[in-house]
Formats: sequence, C-alpha cells, structure tokens
Amino acid sequence: MSKGTVVKHDTELGAFDTQHMRINVGPQHPSTHGVLRLVVDLDGERIVSLRPHVGYLHTGFEKTMENRTYQQGVTYSNRMDYVNGFAHDLAYILGVEKLIGARVPERAQRVRVILTELNRIASHLVFFGTTLLDMGALTPFFYTMREREVLQDIFESVSGVRMNYGYFRVGGLYRDVPENFEPMVRQFVKEFPDYLDQYKDLFMGNDILEARTRGVAVLTRQQALDWCLTGPSLRASGVPLDFRKAAPYSGYQDYDFDVPCYDDGDIWARMQVRMDEMHESLRIVAQAIDMLEPGPTIDPDRRISLPPRHELENSMEAVIFHFKLVTEGFHPPKGEVYVPTESARGELGYYIASDGGSMPYRVKVRAPSLANLQSLEVSSRGGLFADMVINIASFDPVLGDVDK
Amino acid sequence: MSLKDLFERDVQELEAEGILFTSLQNLVKWGRSNSMWPVTFGLACCAIEMMAATNARNDLARFGSEVFRASPRQADVMIVAGRLSKKMAPVMRRVYEQMPDPKWVISMGACASSGGMFNNYAIVQNVDSVVPVDIFVPGCPPRPESLIYAVQQLQKKVRGEAFDGNGVQLPMVEGWSRS
Amino acid sequence: MSALLERLAELGGVQHEFKGMTSVTVPKRAVLDALRAARADGLEMLTDIHGMDYLTYPGHTGKRFAVIYNVHDVAGRRRLFIRVDLDDGETLPTATGLWSGASFLERETFDMMGVVFDGHPDLRKLLTPEDLEGHPHRKDFPLGETPTLFGDGRFLDPASFRAGLSGRDQGLTGWKGGARDGVVASQTPKAPGTAQRPEKSGS
Repeated sequence: MSKGTVVKHDTELGAFDTQHMRINVGPQHPSTHGVLRLVVDLDGERIVSLRPHVGYLHTGFEKTMENRTYQQGVTYSNRMDYVNGFAHDLAYILGVEKLIGARVPERAQRVRVILTELNRIASHLVFFGTTLLDMGALTPFFYTMREREVLQDIFESVSGVRMNYGYFRVGGLYRDVPENFEPMVRQFVKEFPDYLDQYKDLFMGNDILEARTRGVAVLTRQQALDWCLTGPSLRASGVPLDFRKAAPYSGYQDYDFDVPCYDDGDIWARMQVRMDEMHESLRIVAQAIDMLEPGPTIDPDRRISLPPRHELENSMEAVIFHFKLVTEGFHPPKGEVYVPTESARGELGYYIASDGGSMPYRVKVRAPSLANLQSLEVSSRGGLFADMVINIASFDPVLGDVDK
Repeated sequence: MSLKDLFERDVQELEAEGILFTSLQNLVKWGRSNSMWPVTFGLACCAIEMMAATNARNDLARFGSEVFRASPRQADVMIVAGRLSKKMAPVMRRVYEQMPDPKWVISMGACASSGGMFNNYAIVQNVDSVVPVDIFVPGCPPRPESLIYAVQQLQKKVRGEAFDGNGVQLPMVEGWSRS
Repeated sequence: MSALLERLAELGGVQHEFKGMTSVTVPKRAVLDALRAARADGLEMLTDIHGMDYLTYPGHTGKRFAVIYNVHDVAGRRRLFIRVDLDDGETLPTATGLWSGASFLERETFDMMGVVFDGHPDLRKLLTPEDLEGHPHRKDFPLGETPTLFGDGRFLDPASFRAGLSGRDQGLTGWKGGARDGVVASQTPKAPGTAQRPEKSGS
C-alpha cells in the first residue's frame, strides 16, 4: 500500500473514500534526535508505512580514521556517539589493545569502568530529558541536565573537556586521575540515589506517561531478534543480553550487578530498563571506587606508550621510543580483531584490521543505533503518528552513531 | 494633556510621569537584540552543548533566547551546531531561506566554522559557503559559556556596538537591506 | 560449535582462529546455507555485515573484496565470522530472507564498498548523498581533503604532513617498532591456491 491508495470506508456517516497521505518528517524537526528524516505514509492518523532516510550527518569517520595513527583515532571515536563518548573510546581502545597485545594495569581498568558507567548514566539522563521533552513535559529536561552537569564536572576534572574526551590511551590512561576525582565520585554516588527515586516517582509514576507508553509500539522478542536489535531496547523485549556479562572486558567480571530485563516490549518497558540501568551503573561505580588501588595507569611497554617525561632526561632509548611513537606511532602486527562491548545504545564494537603499518587498514564501527533504527518501522506500524514520535525517542538513536 | 504640552514641557518631568522618549532606531535595537529566538538546528555534538547552554546552570534564556522555535518562520537566529555534511547542506539553505528577515547565523564549533577535524569528502569545510555567518565560535565543542558570549557579541553587533578588525564601528544591522 | 564448524567445512569453508575469534571463509554459492546452518546451531543474532577492500594490503594475493557476516548467539558467548571473498562486480545473495535487519546493513555495505546484493528489496545508497558517485570506503576512492592554507600563503596538501605510515611504507629507517614480547607477526604469505586471508599471528 502506498501513497494514493484509495481506502473505502463505510460508516454510519455514510460511505466515503480516503487516500493515504505521505508526510515528510525532518531532517530538521524538533522531535528527532538529530537529523533523521522519515517518510511516513498515513491513513488518517494511523501509520501504514515508515521509511527512515539517514545519512544527513555522514562524516566519513571510518575512512578518516584509516588515515590517522591508532592513537589519533581516539580523537575521532568519541565524536560518533557524542552522548556516550567514553563507550566508543573504550571499544576502540580495547580493539587496538587486543591487536597489539597491550596489558592494561588494574588501576587503569577500574578508572575506565568508573568513567564508562558514569557516562552511561549521563547518556540515560539525556534519554529521559529528551524523551519527556518529546512527550511535551518541559521540566524534566532541566532536572536531568542538572545531574548531568555534575557528571560533566567529573569528566572535566579528569580529561579537561565536558564532552568528546580524549582520555583513554592504548595501554591505559593519558594520566592519573586528579586528587579530587575520588571525593567527587563518592559525593555523586551518595547523592544520586535520591534523585533517582525522585525520577522514578516523577517520570515513571506519572499517569499521563503510563497512558501514553504502556502497550504502545510493542516489539515482540521474535521481531526484535529478526531486526537485529541490541541494547536496552532488546532487553525490554525479553532478551537479557548484555555484553558486560556475556563477554566481560576491562574487569567487569569483578563487579556485582544485575541486568534488568522486561518482557513487555512496549515504550514503557524500554524506559523502565534504562531507569533500572542507571541504578545498576551506580552500583558498579560504587564498587569500583572502593576497589581502586594506587598503581600504574599505563602499560609500561615503551613500544606502545610514551615514556614519562623524567625518563627522557636520562635514557637515550626513551628518547628514541618517544620520537618513533610521536612521529609515526606504534605498529601492531597484521591481523583483524573485533571486541564487542555494551554501550548505552547496544552492542558496540570496532572491527580493526591492521596491515603492519601505524595507521589502521580498515576500521569498521558496528554502531548500535543504525541496526536499532530498523525496528522503528515494524513497531510503529498501525500506531498513531504522535506515538511514533516517542517511539523514535524510546529507541534512543543518536544520529552521529547511525551515520558515522 | 494636549499634544502641545509634549513639545513644551521638560523631558525629565514627562519621564517621571511615565512617558519615555527615544528614537525608533534605539527602540528597534533594544527589541531585536534582547529577544533573539534561535531555530533548532542542532546537528551533532555541539547540539548537546547548545542544549546544555539552555539548562539551569548556564541559562541562555536570561539573555533573551527564551525559546528555541522549531519552525524557522518564527525564529531570528540560526545556530549551526555541529558538522554540516554535504547531504544536509541544501536542507540547511532551505531552512535559512525560510527564516524571515532580519536573521543572523552563528556558526558554533570548529566543524561548522572550518570543517574541524574532518577534512574529507563528506563535510562542508566552512558553513559560510552555504549561509552568511555573523559569528564564529571556536571550540570542539564550545563550552556553554562560549556560546553565551557569542550570543552577546551578536547582540552587540545587532545594536551597532560592534567593531571590525581596524577598530571602525560597524553600523546597526538593517533588517530590510540585507544581502 | 564443533558440529557447526564441521557442517561449514562440508560446505567448503576454511576455518581460522585469531586471538579467540573464529572465522570461516565460505565460497560464494554457500553463503546463505552457511548462515542458515549458523542460525540452526543457535547463532541467531546477526550483528554486522561489512566489506573489506584488500587492494593496497601488502602481501595480499586473493580476491579484492571480502564481505564478513558477524553472527552470535542470544547469550552473547559464541561468535562466528563468516567471510566470503569476492572480486569487483561479483554479487552476493541477500540475507534479508533470514534476518530482516540485514536490510540496512547490506545497504551500507553496498553504499560504502559497492557490493551488490541480489534480491534485496530496496538496494540504494544509505549514508552518502545522492550526487556522490563511487563507493567511499574503497581504497581507490580519495579521502577528498581540502588543501590547508597556511598563514604565509602556502597551500599544502594534508597527506604530505601526515604522521602515520601505511603497511607498505618503509618509513625513515624501516624499523617498525616491533610488537610486545610474545606477539609474533608472521610474514610468510600463504601458498597460492589456498583461500587468502590477512596474516594472523599467534596470541
């Protein structure tokens, strides 16, 4: 059925014919999470078919990363999914470390986990703020952004920027965390559960939100697996897949946390999963900050990481390694690796192929939002146009991730 | 009081009674600069920082940008926040042309101003080649404070208090004669 | 997993392991059967389809392209990479019959690498603009850099002051830094006639 199809109705008002109407939504639209364009065929208010057109933010990340050294790739990876930058940094760095065989010290792994989980909380806060904004609730945006500012202060103290961090290095971290990192994180861990309870009441306990999201845009388990969905949206459809548990990386096996999973598959379940995930992420952060021990923060192998500055005064080899690493970069052996990680949107992995040079031969980003976006059509079909707007929000696509 | 009184009495006396005198130009300057409503044109990472500039900590609304209008017909300024891909460039031109005069453009971030770190086949290397830009904001992404400073500079430019590189004062932006 | 690998070997697949990753290179005619066999064995989630262009890969003597299907099971523990080697112009059957979600993934591979999938319901460009001709991730497609204008008026092309080296470059000294102890790069190319793949090293 396409535009122009005549639909015959026979009602108590009499018989009349209607046609499907084709509407273009976006790419500039307040309710899309970036520059997403949808072409929607409507029968009245009901959606008959929906076709996403993406590519309005295509930046050529992968080809650009093939022309930069491995270490320079960290500058690019967090700009893809800019809301959850540490997850992309971590996935890329883990891939390169697997390729070159770097050994990351424990302190660096713990700090990475803390920052990634705090970033996951920040990403879910943006999710709640913007989803409720799409529903017409203007105030929750300011509440969630208030928490997010606190998190961005932590990220700024660690890496110098509020967003688009370049803090991870192959083999560990750029430098050790500052002294006020631990008090700031502990303060956040102490204060956030109160706010989380407030949000549970304010957002998920709101009658209007329940009426708008319960039973709306249901995606069954079979449909979700068929459409290559991953992440919190998949866990809301009954599949408890989380790569932090299934294929633990960076020390996730040391922490005790649950993976929230619901069976409903509607928008309410997708929101509830993310609400519970914030709670679980906070548990991981609390455990990790307790387990944080002093120690080195980068792999001491000089072929991979820069020597500390004081060594350059005494050792000629250190100067040579420094020179080679800065002008050329390290050379991983030939091979192709893929490390699956769990970002706030789904399964994230970088397929990195090396040809022995200091630039990757091929970087392919398995971006979760691109595959997740396909589920939009099947879950919106038959529903109302207004529901489609919050359905897009519930899959939490970030167009930088989709378009790369 | 009669109209004759307005010409004969003292200005300060009349002001005390609640009658203000100004030139039309000053009134227009004051109105335009203090109520610049941006159109939502967030593209990428800078859009998140633009949203952060409107949150409770860095409140852009106190400078007049009270609402971000989704419809370009109701907006004054377009903040190009993020990297402009070549596929999106015609769309942006269309949105710009839909904005009524007087309109201004702030190019936010390194990617909008110069292509940023993306010197490749997919990104427009300077948004100025698509729309005429008034203020460029450096940063990757610019801090919300930078964006607020940029909006303030634009307000100065609108009021005619801006100076060019040689120290020559630029005139107030004339809405009806914009090239 | 071993039953699946035997079945794939029957279909003509050549298996290789690298750092815990299992990949099987199957001939083109067997790719849908291989995907069906993987699915029947429990690897029912398709994660990614992407292409690789080995045009400038040092020491590569096989077909130019490879398309890689990344499948894993619902528990996330078993993962398999099914590879197909292709020449320019060869087409592959579409996997949208098995997984509807292969639609965008195949469109992206078509847009970026130029691999055509027969039977795809709507094979058109996904990410690049309509007027861009060519397939950007191919190695013969230029990056499209604008020359950088320096303050004193010189225009330099960015490739001339780039830091990294590709695998074919010898660099100033030829010394490539070496890998961490225990990580050995195998430099011997495979004998002609066997399915060519990038050199794998021991973990």
